[in-house]
Amino acid sequence: MTGRRRSFTAVAAIGVLAFAVACAPGNAGGGGSTPASSAPAPASDTETFTPPKVTIGTAEDSKGPAPAPEGVVRGGTVTMLDRDDFAHLDPGQIYLNTESNMALLYARGLTGYKRVGPNEYKLVGDLATDPGTPSDGGRTWTFTLKDGVKWQDGSPITSEDVKWTMERLFAPHITYGPAYIQQWLTGEEDYKKAYGGPYGGKRLDSIETPDEKTVVFRFKEPHADANFALAMTGYAIVPKAKDTKEKYDKEPFSSGPYVITSHTPDKSMELERNPHWDPATDPIRGGYPDKWRFEFGQERLQITDRFIADAGGDKTALSFYAWVAPERLQQVLKDENLKSRMLRQPSPYGNYYYFNLDRVKDIKHRQAINIAWPTRQLQQLEGGPAANVISTTILNPVVAGWQDYDVFGMKAKPEGDIERAKQLMAESSDPNPTIVYAYNQTPIEERKTVVIKNQLAKIGINVVPKPLARKTYYDQISKVDNGFDLYWGGWGQDWPSGSTVLPVIFGPVRDGGYNLSHLRDPEIDAEMKRILELADANEANAAWAALDKRIMETITPIVPDLNDIGTMLYGSRIGGAEIDPQLWNVSPNLIYVKPQ
Amino acid sequence: MLAFLTRRTIGAAVTLLIIAAVTFFLFFAVPADPARLACGKVCPPELLEQARRNLGLDAPVWQQFVAWLAGLVAGRDYEGLGHCPAPCLGYSFVNREPVLETILDRLPLTLSLTFGAAVLFLLFGVGTGVVAALRRGRPLDKIASVASLIGASVQIYFVGTLAMYFLVYQWQILDQPRYVPLTEDPIGWAYGLLLPWVVLSLIFTANYTRITRSTMVEQLTEDYVRTAVAKGLPRRTVVGRFALRGTLIPVVTIFGVDLGHLIGGAIITETTFGLQGIGRLAVRAVTDSDLPMLMATVLLAATAIVVFSIIVDVLYAVIDPRVRLS
Repeated sequence: MTGRRRSFTAVAAIGVLAFAVACAPGNAGGGGSTPASSAPAPASDTETFTPPKVTIGTAEDSKGPAPAPEGVVRGGTVTMLDRDDFAHLDPGQIYLNTESNMALLYARGLTGYKRVGPNEYKLVGDLATDPGTPSDGGRTWTFTLKDGVKWQDGSPITSEDVKWTMERLFAPHITYGPAYIQQWLTGEEDYKKAYGGPYGGKRLDSIETPDEKTVVFRFKEPHADANFALAMTGYAIVPKAKDTKEKYDKEPFSSGPYVITSHTPDKSMELERNPHWDPATDPIRGGYPDKWRFEFGQERLQITDRFIADAGGDKTALSFYAWVAPERLQQVLKDENLKSRMLRQPSPYGNYYYFNLDRVKDIKHRQAINIAWPTRQLQQLEGGPAANVISTTILNPVVAGWQDYDVFGMKAKPEGDIERAKQLMAESSDPNPTIVYAYNQTPIEERKTVVIKNQLAKIGINVVPKPLARKTYYDQISKVDNGFDLYWGGWGQDWPSGSTVLPVIFGPVRDGGYNLSHLRDPEIDAEMKRILELADANEANAAWAALDKRIMETITPIVPDLNDIGTMLYGSRIGGAEIDPQLWNVSPNLIYVKPQ
Repeated sequence: MLAFLTRRTIGAAVTLLIIAAVTFFLFFAVPADPARLACGKVCPPELLEQARRNLGLDAPVWQQFVAWLAGLVAGRDYEGLGHCPAPCLGYSFVNREPVLETILDRLPLTLSLTFGAAVLFLLFGVGTGVVAALRRGRPLDKIASVASLIGASVQIYFVGTLAMYFLVYQWQILDQPRYVPLTEDPIGWAYGLLLPWVVLSLIFTANYTRITRSTMVEQLTEDYVRTAVAKGLPRRTVVGRFALRGTLIPVVTIFGVDLGHLIGGAIITETTFGLQGIGRLAVRAVTDSDLPMLMATVLLAATAIVVFSIIVDVLYAVIDPRVRLS
């Protein structure tokens, strides 16, 4: 997550809003075709990225082994270079995309994402025989564990392990990770008050284990996408017999293809094969290399230069998340020799400039600002079309059912339509309002603030810039009574559904909450509640997309920001490299070492 | 000598105690809450209080400092995390392991980097300085003067980045610098650190060349040197046994300070070459508000400076018989 302006800040802010990703962990297998890495698109305004297609698989789809990429070879050692170590290894503590991606190597959940073709994924059973069976209108979900799934010591993974995993998420020491399943099981937003975890001997009645293979979840309300939620790394299974509470975060027990054999924080980590992992049970992971060696503390520019040089041991190196450094981006994009080792993928997250609806009350002001917004100028400051794409929707294209729209003509007139915006301002309650724009005080944000201020001055709006310290940025803008009119924020869906976006960023208004625009609309709330209770996922997806457009048309609580494009290089002897469109990391699932 | 060492050791201990106290108390002046960082994202007030108790942050600052000092000699227990044996430098809630383990892991690299480079810059710096002094005014002296001026002017991040770009990435003459333990593979150890050593020595050599040259020129005009020459001693003896010993006094002085600084953390060098030593650990501790780790790195740097200053004082007497420790 190095170097990308506010994106970095977002994560640095302890995941408050930011890319609280963990979205759908993992992708999968491979559809017997070469990953998209071989044909990067040109970097220009005409460059297009097709959104990934995610569907729900069957029991047949849930069988292993994962479809192998063409020419795959087993063996060898892969080196992973990155700047930062992983803060958490206990699946229950994992919520960030980088950690979720890495955890694919050693942690398995009930469900996961299997790659079935280029840009095409299926939600399948990972440890479970299928992606789950709902009943009682989505209140009850039943999963059956596969035969032959084992822990690294050869002991079987049982339904008791699954129940224990969910219960331990209520314990005080689990403080990161997602909260969906816990809240659904207890019906309480503050679920830790309802149940304190299993360590004192008290168990959770809402999870039943009628036998060693079967797990039944009984939720208080219908949840049609519970199997998507369970694909999050935060719900990967932890063995009851090996649960060491806080210490588990340093030494997790493996159910995946690899075991962590050494780890020096912030410096290095090594993983070797798990002899008890059976590829026949795993439809998601290839587990082709013999060994993984992680090197931390490498700066982004150094990693880029190492991949460009492609010398010695770096031929078998990759990075999960160190994008090409901005200083080298143009050079890399123009170098034909690097194209076969380059990956490009837009971010799966939403970036927005939020209006504070408590203060910017006239919708004409909000719409005029959208119409006049200097999208092109901001894009140039951020590196041009090679570095980001223009977004006009609230939902990201990776969200299932996403529908493109451009209510305010941002793509048609990315430099801003001043005349049209002026007309709207003339019709508004105050043609010359003053708005306070709060921003993260970094050099790039300072420059962008000048652009925004100058542009909005053209339509009669006086922008008062309010610089905020980086460390406290999110603390300040997430206060309800923050005193600002406009400010930036990001959000990442937890699985590819509008249900983890719109009800969150337009959810409860409270200090430290995620509803930064303070949108309170009974009709929108009722519609979100209706969609959440839909049992048909396709119907729900279409409804989220329609609501996305409706919110922008009728309320306009945000200005959509640009969507970053990640560009990645890797060593010439690495095969199967592909950026997972949801985790926005190079997936380890299909990686193999090409022969010399 | 014994009285001198005793006095200096006590002085060093007091100095280190003051540095530890200042660092500890200053940390609490910055707007950071280690308990919140340790507590995590979902952190209601009761969990935050528990994190404060676990980290001992609920006690007054002076009590926390006393507990930290006691941990150095008696070890400490951390609720939910286990026992930290003496000498316990604290428990990093960022790395989730005792600080001493991390320090001991990073120290070998820093020591290797420091002493390997020190051998090079001492040999080349003093050697070039002596030759330049003996050839004063001649082309070799002028070349050495210009080279040392350039060396003193450039920075490690400039030379290091250029060296990496050409020698490692473009021409691929050397591999990416890396640390291999000396005990595992001595050749790999030297090869892995060769580039950082050379670049570091390029920067430091300049200073030693200039100091050695100027002091040697001065020494060569001293009475005792002229006497030695007049007595017909060979030039090598005059230079090596008499003039050089006098020259080494300022050299040893700055050498002690330089070694102390490098052991305390060659932050820019480590960053430039992607190495994980004490320097980067210190930077990380600051950015993560990791007080125990910060304390350990600050104390390590201070200890290195203090210890080398004592060693330098002792070396004065060894190098120059006119100096007496009292």
